[in-house]
Amino acid sequence: MSFYLLFKVLFSRKVVTGLLLLQLAMTLALLLNSILLAKQTHQQLNQPTGLDVDNTLLVQLKPTMASLRVYPALEELLNRQLDAVQAMPGVIAAAYTNQSAILQGGNNGNVYIDGEEDRTNQPSVPMYFVSKDFFNVLNSDVLQGELPQHSVSLDNPVQPDVVITKSLADKLFAGKPAVGQQLNRGRVAAVISDFYGQRHGTHVMFNNIQVAPPFSVDWGYGILLRVQPGQAENVRQQVDKVLRNVEPNIEILHVRTLAEQYQRLYRNEYGLATLLALLSALMLLVTMVSSYSSTHFHALKRQQEIGVKRALGASKKVIFLELLSENWLCTAIGALFGIGCALLLNKALSQVITIPPLDLHLPLLASLILLVCVTVATWYPAAIATRISPATATKAL
Amino acid sequence: MEQFIYYLKVSLISIRRAPLPYALTIFILSVGLGVFFANATFYYQLNSDPLPEKSDKLFFPMLNLVPYECSTDCRTPRVLSYSNVEKLSQTDTPSQAAAMYSADGYLRQRADQTPLPVSIRITQRDFFAMFDVPVLHGSIWPDNSARPEVILTKATAEKLFGKSDVVGEKLLLDDRNVTVSAVLDDWQMLPRLYDANNRNHLSEADDIYLPLETGYDMNYLSNSQSQTFDDTDYRQLSTQGRTGALHQLQYWVKLDTPAQQQAYRQFMTNLVQDEKAAGRHPSPPNNQLVAMRDIVSYFGGDSSDIKAFALVTLLFLLVCLFNASHLSLNRYLSNQYEFSLRRALGASRSQLQLQMLADVLIMALFTISGALLTGYGGIKLMNNLLPANRLFSDWDLTLLLGLLTVAVICSYLVTLYPSLRASFGSLNQQLKE
Repeated sequence: MSFYLLFKVLFSRKVVTGLLLLQLAMTLALLLNSILLAKQTHQQLNQPTGLDVDNTLLVQLKPTMASLRVYPALEELLNRQLDAVQAMPGVIAAAYTNQSAILQGGNNGNVYIDGEEDRTNQPSVPMYFVSKDFFNVLNSDVLQGELPQHSVSLDNPVQPDVVITKSLADKLFAGKPAVGQQLNRGRVAAVISDFYGQRHGTHVMFNNIQVAPPFSVDWGYGILLRVQPGQAENVRQQVDKVLRNVEPNIEILHVRTLAEQYQRLYRNEYGLATLLALLSALMLLVTMVSSYSSTHFHALKRQQEIGVKRALGASKKVIFLELLSENWLCTAIGALFGIGCALLLNKALSQVITIPPLDLHLPLLASLILLVCVTVATWYPAAIATRISPATATKAL
Repeated sequence: MEQFIYYLKVSLISIRRAPLPYALTIFILSVGLGVFFANATFYYQLNSDPLPEKSDKLFFPMLNLVPYECSTDCRTPRVLSYSNVEKLSQTDTPSQAAAMYSADGYLRQRADQTPLPVSIRITQRDFFAMFDVPVLHGSIWPDNSARPEVILTKATAEKLFGKSDVVGEKLLLDDRNVTVSAVLDDWQMLPRLYDANNRNHLSEADDIYLPLETGYDMNYLSNSQSQTFDDTDYRQLSTQGRTGALHQLQYWVKLDTPAQQQAYRQFMTNLVQDEKAAGRHPSPPNNQLVAMRDIVSYFGGDSSDIKAFALVTLLFLLVCLFNASHLSLNRYLSNQYEFSLRRALGASRSQLQLQMLADVLIMALFTISGALLTGYGGIKLMNNLLPANRLFSDWDLTLLLGLLTVAVICSYLVTLYPSLRASFGSLNQQLKE
């Protein structure tokens, strides 16, 4: 079995081989880019958030009466709600916040060292106005300083102290101690471990927190609950009733774990990766049908030839291998073209979505998948072809 | 006709002779076209022009009129302050103009009722004429002054009162008394291009409409995008919000002719020069007058997921076409003896091509049915995986006709080369085989 003969067989049916090569090339191109996108989405969904996302619940709500959205009625409502949810079985800690962690965007602003705006300004840093147990709910580690223990109104002439995350502190102070430094938002009281803030922020781990009642709840507010492991579902089922018992004039917009919140944040990427994966599977199926039909048809057309070969002493194994080798060679050539197509498709896709460039080992993996699929598809027609007896050749003669 | 029926019968006999290759060809073509249909539906609807007769006359003017000197990022803010809109309104050049934003609120008839959460479009009277909003009952506000009057959509009126003719009825909007001045007929502008910021053009129309001045008096903050460039307290919208650099408004003007458009551009340039001279425009000028049909791409809100998927579905359709051609070629080559025999018996090539057209017709019928089923399933799946685009999944007549044409063309292309090749084969060759 020589390469020359295999090539000769393939090119004796130019159009069919050409169509098959095009299919194989395009299938590999799509398969490669789907794998890349799936890998990227997997990495995004599994990047560290700095939060115990499975055991932290977010209740997003809003008072339906205008009178409950202004102070002092609002503060009294917030405290009553916190007392009620903290008393729920399974709840370890509870805190209110003007906005949740793990968001697309939200309340954010500039943060810079006082007097050094030009050099240190960090735009789009999430601003949290929270109750003092917020850090306990997020299970944050205090890396420098001490957490504020009292809530201070944002209308106070002296700004409440700020707590910033490690990444923001490193960016602003470049490794120097941050505690006691004056930012435009207030004096730094503490630096805590990083947690995922806003996806559209300058950096997802930049966060600025102040222990203060929310400025306004016109956009609603959140109650964050840290629950004992395995208790999230129980607490979720009860929290609606508990909060409505405290105050019926509220709208509960949603109750989610932070893990669900995180899934929603990357829902589009997940959706697109799933669609591409499904399309790749369909493309592989279509290629398998094509390989099956091609082998089946040409084995039938070459019955005499196979019969003669069998009569001249070729074993079933040799015939079987010969038919498979034709398809393997075709797949190898298609895969080579496919890598070129994959590069082109990758370039075209990167114009509209974020997709990493092709690396070296991935084409090998994708080609292997393609080869396995083609082998599976051609196995049956090749096996049938081996059953052609030498008598077939005699009849033809 | 009799001859054509004969051709159809021959086609059916040929299908029955080798049903598996035929079924595979139909299956592959249906899947390719179905996936293409599903994505083409979203692509077509997302890029459709909701106001084709006037979208080139509606513009969103934006100024870099902020109280700071930008150093690196000199992009014009995507939303305007109340005072900026006042300045942009100081000309009669536009035939219509409306500022707007959206907010959330609660509506009820009596204080003891459960409130209905509503999305409020806070805007001015020209909004309704500019965007062809149909009025079912009552009338639009006579001017842009503050008034405790709301305009309801038909659905909201029916939800609250169980009927649509509710003009003059009293309501509580966030515990403040308002009167219904009009009810809108069923209306959905998709994509909602008047609110393209933050990809809001993918959302449904709002539930109620409130005059802009009343919205500011009632301290409604934008639920979409607001930016403060000075120390304006956004809780004091009715006072500081009208004078400070609190940006939350979108502003649309209707400029009917190129001359009006040029005049408005000149007006904006003059306005910026005056503001600079007065020391109120420290940043470099960067005026924008964006046409409605360009607003989504200006705000970077194009559906990239649909674009990316469009690219790969097109590729998939190509693969399916190649594959179906391949299968079809095998099928025709298997039947070549029959073709050659007919040629030998005197059938012309054009008669064989008529036979091919009968094949195409049958294939197109099967393929269209399969593609519509696959397309429907694909749309359901895409709605589930990419829910942001779910409002753009409907088939209309134009789209359907376009898709059917594509299906027929594909069926023709798949059959063309194999049938030509089969009809050019010679009987001698066949007999030898």
